[in-house]
Amino acid sequence: MATQKIKLNINGNEIEVVKNTTLLDAIKKTGITVPTLCHHKDLTPDGSCRLCSVEIELDGKREIVTSCNYPIRNEIRVDTDSIRVKKHRKVLAEMYLGRWPNVPAIQEVASMCGATDKERFKSELTDTNPNACILCGKCKRACEEFIQEKILDFAGSGIDRHITMPFGEVDPHCVGCTSCAYVCPTGAIQIADDVNNPVDPELIRERGMRVNAEMATLDPYQCRMREVGTANIVEVMDAYDLLPVMNYKFGKHEDTHKIDSKMMKKHYFTQGQPDQCWHGCSMACAKAVDGFKLKTGPYKGDRVCVDGPEYETAAGGANMGCFNLDFIVEFNFYCDTYGIDTISMATTMAFVMECYENGVITKEHTGGLELNFGACDAVLECMHQMAKGSGFGKDVGQGIRWLKQKWIRDYNAPADFLNDIGMENKGLEYSEYMTKESLAQQAGYALAVKGPQHDEAWLIFIDLVNNQIPTFEDKAEALYYFPLFRTWFGLQGLCKIVWNDVSPADNKKYPPQEAAKIPGHVENYWKFFEGMTGIPLDEEKMLDQSARVHNLQKMIGLMLGRNSWKEDIPPYRAVGPVTAQEYESRQERYDKQIMENIKLDPDTISTEDKIQKLREYRMDQYKKVAQAAYKRRGWDEFGIPTAERLKELGIDKPELLEIIELARKNVEPK
Amino acid sequence: MIIVNNRDKLEWKNGMTVRDVLSAMGHVYPLITVTVNEELVEEEDYDTRKVPDNSSISVFHLAHGG
Repeated sequence: MATQKIKLNINGNEIEVVKNTTLLDAIKKTGITVPTLCHHKDLTPDGSCRLCSVEIELDGKREIVTSCNYPIRNEIRVDTDSIRVKKHRKVLAEMYLGRWPNVPAIQEVASMCGATDKERFKSELTDTNPNACILCGKCKRACEEFIQEKILDFAGSGIDRHITMPFGEVDPHCVGCTSCAYVCPTGAIQIADDVNNPVDPELIRERGMRVNAEMATLDPYQCRMREVGTANIVEVMDAYDLLPVMNYKFGKHEDTHKIDSKMMKKHYFTQGQPDQCWHGCSMACAKAVDGFKLKTGPYKGDRVCVDGPEYETAAGGANMGCFNLDFIVEFNFYCDTYGIDTISMATTMAFVMECYENGVITKEHTGGLELNFGACDAVLECMHQMAKGSGFGKDVGQGIRWLKQKWIRDYNAPADFLNDIGMENKGLEYSEYMTKESLAQQAGYALAVKGPQHDEAWLIFIDLVNNQIPTFEDKAEALYYFPLFRTWFGLQGLCKIVWNDVSPADNKKYPPQEAAKIPGHVENYWKFFEGMTGIPLDEEKMLDQSARVHNLQKMIGLMLGRNSWKEDIPPYRAVGPVTAQEYESRQERYDKQIMENIKLDPDTISTEDKIQKLREYRMDQYKKVAQAAYKRRGWDEFGIPTAERLKELGIDKPELLEIIELARKNVEPK
Repeated sequence: MIIVNNRDKLEWKNGMTVRDVLSAMGHVYPLITVTVNEELVEEEDYDTRKVPDNSSISVFHLAHGG
């Protein structure tokens, strides 16, 4: 629907605003100040103090309205300062002054309204405490809107009206977010205790409140984390051809709507309040399904509560070709119950299914399980076997690397094909993003020290959609900054979600390269660190802290005989099309690359030849980006940290220098 | 012809708005910043802001998830 704009006249000045903008916001746009008491820019307007009243004229009729909660839907004339309005405000301000004469916030607003007489409305209700509660209700709204709780509310009526927790007792549902104290204009709500003895609790609180406000005001229009959690990404990835489908062969599917966040919200999610995984966090991204009746396994017939599903679990369903939410929720439950990672399980099963469909393994090997893509029941059976340590499931539990080795060795399986489609790197299964068309993301996964886990570098959109890092050097810079930033906050035990699953309203002011980092939120992390430790941070200091650990991780890998340059090479399925079916599914894109980059006429060569030419080109591109990333990280051409880099970082200890010297001595030739 | 993100070409049509460009490109993402010839366009103006022929449009997707 088109955005509708409406003209209005404020004190003689014409302006235009989007329909349903509040009158107070429109007035502010003109630079005019109107007194307010119960209003907070990040909370739903209440209109209870009535100090923001102004006079409007609509269809020749004049009336006084509270501007904070008056939505502009018609062309109106507004007078913010008429005699009638001024008189109205002055009487109100005197009433407030009579009841709470010593509260600075009241004195300030009274002064704005020209009210000085404290005696006119003095009564037995007069409270001389300068920190008295003035019943503005901001704390109640902050609790509801920032945290989605109802810990605070008004009780009593008339002269007995007051703010309280239920039954006047401490409510265990309070997550300690301190929002109520933060928005309280008088100091009536005080924070009694700061856990962990931070150096500067106010600095931490101020940053936390920014996030709370963003969650209340921006999240409903951005990622909807409170509504559906990370599941919102399912439909986004499908729309951009990036959802892993059938062992990463494809990036979208016509049945994705059956497992997307809309479907989860409508039929499954029953819980969505803050679960306190982070004390005081307002994001409430965790979702749960209550009363789910299990159809298989040891708890068959039981009704259970399932924590999830999150994006990766649902996308794992797509990767196995299982577009069935009943299955995904049951899969989620049993993975959690058995202590199995949903990502590794789904990616391993997707590999098994592709091998089954290609005759690499048969029912003879699987103990009778028919493991085609979409075989939901067989996946669950395999998982139950895995948990019992029996049957084919026991083998599947060893992961893709082990299965490849066994099947090549024992079943004479085609090694090239298995190595191409087995989506693991450094022994870890890929997480659920389809990387074929993003060189930076291919390297983000395969150059991750721990294996292809997306928390080191998630660069698909920056690279593939935005075309923001076109050169190898640009990609290398992103492959330097993002893994180090993410390693850094992981080391502090801080959550990733508040970095980029909500974005500050002013992030658009930054140029794209900076905007991608979300500078305002990165600063939140630094200020949190500073508030806890007293040590100020900037980008250079943060990256250096992180690089020390990142290089140590790399050296530990080398010391254990892992993390050689060969282990930084991804399986080809992560880089380009392995099969003719995959090539043809994106023929236009691949033919264009063959024509523009490889300078061949795609109409004159066979699909098999095109696949081969594309493979040579793409693997060459990958090797170039890996070399650029090594260089930017201060590593040599074999991905081994240099002595100079260790010295720069202050970790050039003899025992560490020995590790890199030994690794260089034993390096496998290219 | 207009260019999107320094790479993708889109045929220009008379009266084309920013919203039309986003629809044609399939850009349904919630976190985007649009500039037309390096000038920021606010979301409230997507329906009314006309895109001149030969424009360079940036549709910056701010990554989330991952």
